[in-house]
Amino acid sequence: MRLKLFFAALALMVCPWAASAQISGDSEGPGVRGEIVGQGGQRFPIAVSPLKNLGTSADSAKLSEGMADAIVHDLELSGWFKVLDRAAYLEHPQKTGITLGSFDFKDWSTIGAEGVVKGGFSVQGDEVAVELRLFDVYQNKERVGKRYVGRVKDYRRIAHKFADEIINQFTGVPGIFNTRIAYVSTSGGRFKEIHVAHLDGSEKFQVTNNRTINISPSWSPDGRSVLYASFKERPQSLYLFELYSGKETKWSARNGRYLGGKFSPDGQYIAATLEVGGNSDVHLLDRSGNIIRRLTNEPGIEVSPSWSPDGRQLVFVSDRSGSPQLYVLDVASGKTRRLTYGGSYNTAPDWSPKGDRIAYTGRVAGRFVIFTISAEGGEPRKLTAESADSEDPSWSPDGRFLVFSSNRAGRYHLYVMQATGDNQRRLTGSGGDDTKPHWSPRLD
Amino acid sequence: MAQFKTVRYALVAVFLLTAAGCAPSTAKKPDTATAGSSTSAESKGKGGAGEGQGGGTRESQTSPGSLDALQQGKSTATPASSPLKDVYFEFDRYDLKPDARDTLKANAGWLKGNPSARIEVEGHCDERGTNEYNLALGAKRAQAAKDFLVTLGIPAERVSTISYGEEIPVCKQAAEDCWRQNRRARFVIITTRPAS
Repeated sequence: MRLKLFFAALALMVCPWAASAQISGDSEGPGVRGEIVGQGGQRFPIAVSPLKNLGTSADSAKLSEGMADAIVHDLELSGWFKVLDRAAYLEHPQKTGITLGSFDFKDWSTIGAEGVVKGGFSVQGDEVAVELRLFDVYQNKERVGKRYVGRVKDYRRIAHKFADEIINQFTGVPGIFNTRIAYVSTSGGRFKEIHVAHLDGSEKFQVTNNRTINISPSWSPDGRSVLYASFKERPQSLYLFELYSGKETKWSARNGRYLGGKFSPDGQYIAATLEVGGNSDVHLLDRSGNIIRRLTNEPGIEVSPSWSPDGRQLVFVSDRSGSPQLYVLDVASGKTRRLTYGGSYNTAPDWSPKGDRIAYTGRVAGRFVIFTISAEGGEPRKLTAESADSEDPSWSPDGRFLVFSSNRAGRYHLYVMQATGDNQRRLTGSGGDDTKPHWSPRLD
Repeated sequence: MAQFKTVRYALVAVFLLTAAGCAPSTAKKPDTATAGSSTSAESKGKGGAGEGQGGGTRESQTSPGSLDALQQGKSTATPASSPLKDVYFEFDRYDLKPDARDTLKANAGWLKGNPSARIEVEGHCDERGTNEYNLALGAKRAQAAKDFLVTLGIPAERVSTISYGEEIPVCKQAAEDCWRQNRRARFVIITTRPAS
């Protein structure tokens, strides 16, 4: 235990918000793993108890229920769980224990829970120590337990981290809930500004406030900066905004206008769309914003590059065939192959971090819908309905979810769905239009 | 969370500095904003001094570009009084239709009669499709209109271009009537004064 506390302290120094230490559990994943099923299957019934106040400070419902709420949000967003209604819980979270043997599994099996999340916290000053555990109700066993130390204000991040651990226990791959989305929002006004927020809408932060048009936000691979293009000065340039320092760097092109850019997975390069004299092409930039070389050289429209996870290929949009279609470029050799053939409008590609599939926006019967297609080509898979427009898909860092924007509820809002198209859920509801989402990598 | 506070304070500081450095918010676009506002003020001054030739025709011929109009909360539609008319395009196209060529010929005629005027061609798209693609498409439309003006004898240096893609629509309903009005090249008179 002493050793683990040491690592916890070390992690706290490196990571500004929350340190975690495993207090129990096997990393292999429990026998309940098989209970998670995909498309059309049953959802795993789980209960998430409000946390117990283990400290001396007055009980704060904000922390007790707030952390449980955040975990519930994440588990429901995953689509893999049926979270049982808190009003049905039998035990009193402040009067029972949080460790094996200090509570009665029958209180949970009676209400139909096959898993239960319990935890406790104690506040000292502006810091909170949190213990969270996942129990298997059928086998009366603890699956995993974690201890976190962080700032009280970051309590939702702690909850998201444990939600990621729960997903890890069930699927063998950690969840993606400690992440953020960068997107463009009008917030009900007439300007388009860049925002970032967690999936649950918390820690919303407005990156730009220049009362112009800001477009194409994308994350640096370390999750610390957002790259975007802006009309705030002439000519349109790329801006790299560091979220933690507030420092911003501007990259301009001598003769052209930038429309957007994406960092390579290793963070060393940027593939950017540059328009010169009406002609847009994809260019390769170094991480200081200097143009290394032009990657496409066509008289038509070449835009919206997205990197393969190994950084060797780019998928982009070209209208060289007479309509916008997706093409894949081998960066080293310059060889290009056409990827999409169906339909007359295929744009906004995003290459899955798993490498296997590419998500994009296609036009069907006058509506825009989201498809995925194998990176090798073939038959596309349609994920959203033609009853409304859905656009601009962006993969989660594990390649199992997509965030996108849709006008199915009137204005454009952000939605998340599984990579299969299942469990489509709305994330945002500002009075304006929320568009162009880009999913961050996993955060500290 | 403390980090976020710091960021916010840093941002506020940056914006205050920016505001202090360049007084009006429109100063960010020196070409259109300052030129546009100063010439309209000047042409009024000229009229008052009795130097105007042809009276009202010279007045208020410059108008703000779409981004300036958006910032000022003004209409982004081309005023009916503008001597330069918009030209329209089909969905996902940037080739000039016969009626667009006719409009461009009329616009070129005005430019020939006002040889010191300089203009900016704005390329616009309807809301459908992807923002980045539409910015590239709008750039094609603006360039196609400029190229045609140049073939009609207008010097290229009198015509600059910019694309606003689907970002500044003139009509906001989701219907073809509206989309048609948004798929346009718009001609903004930056100045009618001779270059110094």
